[in-house]
Amino acid sequence: MNIEARKKALRYLFQRVIDPLGYKFSPDEELVDFLLEQEVLLEQKHGIPYCPCQGLTHKREEDMKIVCPCIPFHREHFDFMKRCWCGLYVHKDVTDPDKLRQIPINEFRSARNVS
Amino acid sequence: MLVEVAKTSELAPGGLKYVEVDKREIVLCNCDGVIFAVGRRCGHQNAPLNMGTLEGYVLTCPLHNVQFDVRTGEALSSPLYHYFGEEEEQASQEDFDNFAQWYDVLRAHTNTCDLKTYPVVVEKDSIKLEIKEE
Repeated sequence: MNIEARKKALRYLFQRVIDPLGYKFSPDEELVDFLLEQEVLLEQKHGIPYCPCQGLTHKREEDMKIVCPCIPFHREHFDFMKRCWCGLYVHKDVTDPDKLRQIPINEFRSARNVS
Repeated sequence: MLVEVAKTSELAPGGLKYVEVDKREIVLCNCDGVIFAVGRRCGHQNAPLNMGTLEGYVLTCPLHNVQFDVRTGEALSSPLYHYFGEEEEQASQEDFDNFAQWYDVLRAHTNTCDLKTYPVVVEKDSIKLEIKEE
């Protein structure tokens, strides 16, 4: 299987999912290319393009929540950061993704008082 | 040799249509308004691709979810087998029976042939395929 062709296909398919959610691919093309390649490798190993930045629990119900793009399962958290956990996706209005940081879930819950 | 196989009105964007030309099984794919034609049989286990789904230029096989680029016929992914549930939480008998019934329907349409692409010519409302002698 051609990894480059698969990366393009994933990008094409994911674009159709994230656009209505208000997200876009990060302007950092090098990061996007690297993360998509990791997803292709994960897909080759597991059959599913899991998020490359979150660990698998090997419990299907939990692991399905980190299938890229996992935005719908972490919507409030990601909207708060204006990016997904990896930084593969950012809010459409973001021009400088380097200014956005990963905010741990506990910190997010404290900030939003979400239990 | 150009052969008319369908009218454009028969194939909505995102749609798939099975046509047969001289015993060649072909699927027409309307990729957001542009028509492509590929062999009907999946390169993995020959399932009927016209029963799959088309998302843009990506055609997904209904049997094991292998994805193809309809512009080139290239396989984009490996098969992904059906999930039957965790060992400790097996799928119910009803779920299994439903899957078995669905699997049998697909299998009934399965035989052996290659995945090819065919040049498409659209003239007015007519979809034509360029078929070469073999």
